Amino acid sequence: MAVPLLETRNLSIRFGGLVAVSRVDLSLAAGETLCIIGPNGAGKSTLFNLISGIYRQSSGTVRLDGRDITGWPAHRIAAAGIARTFQSSRLFGDLTLVDNVVIGMHCRTRTGVIDALLRPRRARAEFEAAAERAGELLRLVSPGLYERRHTLAGTLPQADRRRLEIARALASDPKIIMLDEPSSGMDDRDTDALIEDIRLTMAERPGLAYIIIEHDMRLVAALPERVVVIDYGEKIAEGHFSEVRLMPRVQEAYLGQKAAHA
Amino acid sequence: MMAEPPRIALSARHTSAADVAVVAAAELGGALLLGLFLLADDSRFIVALLVLLGAGFAALQIRPAIEERIVAAFRNARFTALGLGSAIVLAYPFAMQGSSYALHLLVVAQLYAVLALALNFQLGSANIPNFATGASYGIGAYTSALLAIDFGVSFWLTLPIAAVVATAFGFLLGFPSMRTRETYLALVTIAFGIVVHQLLNNFDWTGGPNGLVGIPAPTILGHSFAAPIELFGARLPSQANFYYLAAALVALAIVSARRLHDSRVGLAWNALRADELAARCQGINVVWYKMLAFAVDAFLAAFAGSVYAAYVSYISPDNFTFLVSVTIMTMVIVGGMDNTLGVILGAFLLTLLPEKLRIFADYRLLFVSVVVILFLILRPQGLFPQRPRSYGGR
Repeated sequence: MAVPLLETRNLSIRFGGLVAVSRVDLSLAAGETLCIIGPNGAGKSTLFNLISGIYRQSSGTVRLDGRDITGWPAHRIAAAGIARTFQSSRLFGDLTLVDNVVIGMHCRTRTGVIDALLRPRRARAEFEAAAERAGELLRLVSPGLYERRHTLAGTLPQADRRRLEIARALASDPKIIMLDEPSSGMDDRDTDALIEDIRLTMAERPGLAYIIIEHDMRLVAALPERVVVIDYGEKIAEGHFSEVRLMPRVQEAYLGQKAAHA
Repeated sequence: MMAEPPRIALSARHTSAADVAVVAAAELGGALLLGLFLLADDSRFIVALLVLLGAGFAALQIRPAIEERIVAAFRNARFTALGLGSAIVLAYPFAMQGSSYALHLLVVAQLYAVLALALNFQLGSANIPNFATGASYGIGAYTSALLAIDFGVSFWLTLPIAAVVATAFGFLLGFPSMRTRETYLALVTIAFGIVVHQLLNNFDWTGGPNGLVGIPAPTILGHSFAAPIELFGARLPSQANFYYLAAALVALAIVSARRLHDSRVGLAWNALRADELAARCQGINVVWYKMLAFAVDAFLAAFAGSVYAAYVSYISPDNFTFLVSVTIMTMVIVGGMDNTLGVILGAFLLTLLPEKLRIFADYRLLFVSVVVILFLILRPQGLFPQRPRSYGGR
């Protein structure tokens, strides 16, 4: 088999005595969608923070396209092609939607201080082109966002914040997008609409791989092909959702002991 | 939600007579207010002018549409605004009735405007508290003065050298600062400012506490800046030379601020101001951009320092104390973070007020503290708050 797009080996992190993520092996091919599920506090978000370089691993390796990116700082990992969203959305609230998406293009644009000061025409051209592309991305993710592209991100409702975060992540032309609980804090109707938008975005870019942390079972059932279950920082199961959900160990961990025995 | 109708007016690109009228009224009104303020002697009259200014801002606070209208007019009639503004700045010394004091105040206010714009890159754009702008100002002034006195280097050549030296120090300060954040970062910059002040005070070659005396005035095409200007039959005091030099520096600072703000760099600074972690995940090298902010701040502050040294011809460590840095910071907070015009207005207000109302001068620190507290309560975004960027189509 070809080299996987993303591969983690034995990835672990300890905070003092607590092992938050323990020897997790993941593998993701280009264009694939992987869902990570598990109970609260299982270490799913910590795993994202490890892969995106916010935390430094205690041991293990992360490879992207065969290249070892273990321990790289977050901004280099973003430039290498791993974009992400956050569970409690972290937008730049006092900037406009366009600004937010243009910032997402940071590692695909070049202007530095000297260029901005001494070659204003070139800097301006790059900036306007970025804004134009940002508009297109916003329209792709949701026409409603495009309409409001010059308003401040802080004024958006929850579902649109998620969409904007996805647009911002797309802006960096990533190879992988990691979505941390896209449906958190949203009701069923908003979640359904979001699933639809994510699906459209996926169809638009077939080569792009996704890793999604999710709690909402409908979203899990609707989107991904493959599911990894994490509990107490360890990978306890992997496979198609319809198979994984029947495993007793998964039911115990995820749905609680009672459900497993019911 | 924001009212949408004004946007239709914005999209109309042609300049209307109404726009020109609004621009002219705003610029001439502002110039008139400043002129009355500068030439006034009676403190009751000065207080009345301040009340008028306060009423103006209260009106802006209550009716944001007024501000929108003015901003739209300036955007539509950009060239009129620029032309009229330049004409006012060029002609202003002639309206000062030969008062060298009024011109002196204008020079100092403009230098502070440059310093405040320099700090705005950090405090306004990136929210990095830097209490060392006064130190960069001092490094620029001393470098320029020492080069001129000890080596006879021309003022015009010392300008860029001083800026480079101060920028190097800015990087030097930025480097250790990156290991700290927020409050602790503020403490590091305070320490840097005090170290610079102490070094200037204790080295022999900086003249110690006595400072440097006899800094030569610049000359241009044989005209010394210490001599009065004779033009069109009018005679302007020698301060007018530095008025024009400082005005050019302000223009340079405004252009730099504009270009950086509306660029990838300005956006990156705004991003790390809003959410540093999210900024890192967008590929922004936070450490590098923070150091850049320190460097740009020091670069511009050094320019102001060089001009100041040549202007007063005598500098001592006490010109560049912690208090100077605090004052510059207040100007940015009062004027409006990340708003060029606001920051300049803040600098003018806080330079001129203590000079014109002597009662404030005796309680300078108290005055500054009260102003900051009042602003943080009443108008935390400053006189002119940050505005959303405008892109080509708008």
